[in-house]
Amino acid sequence: MIAVATVVDWEALLDAAVASLVAALVVTLAASTAIYGAATFAEAQRDERYGVAAMAAVLALVGSLVVAASIAVGLYVMING
Amino acid sequence: MDSDIVLVIVVFAALAFDFTNGFHDTANVVATSISTHALTPRVAVAMAAVLNFAGAFISIQVAATVAQDVVQATAITTTVIFAGLVGAISWNLITWYFGLPSSSSHALIGGMVGAALAAVGTSAVIGEGVLGKVLIPAILAPVIAFVIGVLAITIAYWTCGRLRPGPAARGFRLGQIASGGMLALAHGTNDAQKTMGVITLALIANGNLSATDFEVPTWVIVASATAISLGTYTGGWRIIRTMGTRIIKMDSAQGFSAQGAGAAVILASSHFGYPLSTTQVIAGGVMGAGAGKRVSAVRWGVAGNLVVAWVLTLPAAAAIGAAAYGFTSIFGNGAVGPLLVSVMAIGLGLALFARRIRAGQPVPQV
Repeated sequence: MIAVATVVDWEALLDAAVASLVAALVVTLAASTAIYGAATFAEAQRDERYGVAAMAAVLALVGSLVVAASIAVGLYVMING
Repeated sequence: MDSDIVLVIVVFAALAFDFTNGFHDTANVVATSISTHALTPRVAVAMAAVLNFAGAFISIQVAATVAQDVVQATAITTTVIFAGLVGAISWNLITWYFGLPSSSSHALIGGMVGAALAAVGTSAVIGEGVLGKVLIPAILAPVIAFVIGVLAITIAYWTCGRLRPGPAARGFRLGQIASGGMLALAHGTNDAQKTMGVITLALIANGNLSATDFEVPTWVIVASATAISLGTYTGGWRIIRTMGTRIIKMDSAQGFSAQGAGAAVILASSHFGYPLSTTQVIAGGVMGAGAGKRVSAVRWGVAGNLVVAWVLTLPAAAAIGAAAYGFTSIFGNGAVGPLLVSVMAIGLGLALFARRIRAGQPVPQV
């Protein structure tokens, strides 16, 4: 009988679980922020609230950059890992 | 000479398995993008086919696991690997015929283990590898995808819940192009590698590669990538014809969250060399994104079917793999047995396919 505790590399499993959790949640939060920023930017610009529009544009830009960077880092790690 | 013929049969059988894997799983990869209208069916299928091809080149960790951590490469022969593939392909065909949600990956591992047990005995199976690298990750991965799906949809609704529905939906549909692409890439990475692993194992068993120090040959990577990509493309056209009938209903935020959860779990697991059931991981992500909005929105009956498939697939594919080895070995160690079984398997496959087409094709469920 193989003892599950000894043959399973729990550390690697935990690493895989944490990596997938962090990657998915960071990308979701960043993408949601980008969507919120873009939608708010369009609305604020239409209402001529330029200060809010500028802040929303920054949010949208930062969110989009974080999404792109996360995907790029993930692929880099996969290819070079 | 005979062993080389068997090797060629094994390579073709493995690529046929890879093709059916892509054919079988296209729905899982593209369904969410199509159902939320993030992508048109034609674009979704074409993108999935291209990214499945590209994904196969990203990593070879899973291929290494299949080649060295499931069965003893030095103890088995190409005939054993052939019988294992027959077990996997047969189980895939049977479950496809009856419309059962099954895992091609579990069928492959089950078939290989069953054939190795029948041919050599328990000493040919690496228990630690099967348990630690296949079974435990197979159980945990869909659960992790489910949890990530719940958390991701909670974040998405929390962030964008106060926006007007139109702009938010458009934004998440745009996001789905990226998340759907990553999911297709992840699918190609994990699933194509299983075939690479089997072909590599056959090359080791046939003495073409060293068991202790080997690299997956480039032609194996290219052939596996091409087979899964062609299967995805072919399966996609079948799905385009059946779209809009029984496919899942979800909003674009849920689609984005589900695809993101599935892609993250599959890519991270591929990096660590775990050969997962991509079907079950994607289903876990979809259910999580559904449950995060409303628990009753999830079709828990599908979850029950997945559990049944978990329990059934490994032993059933193993039994068929063992039976295929038993039948093949009647004709000795030469190429006659595998050739005969190949002809019978092709005939059975065509008969099932024709019968299923006449009776109406089952629509894949996610």
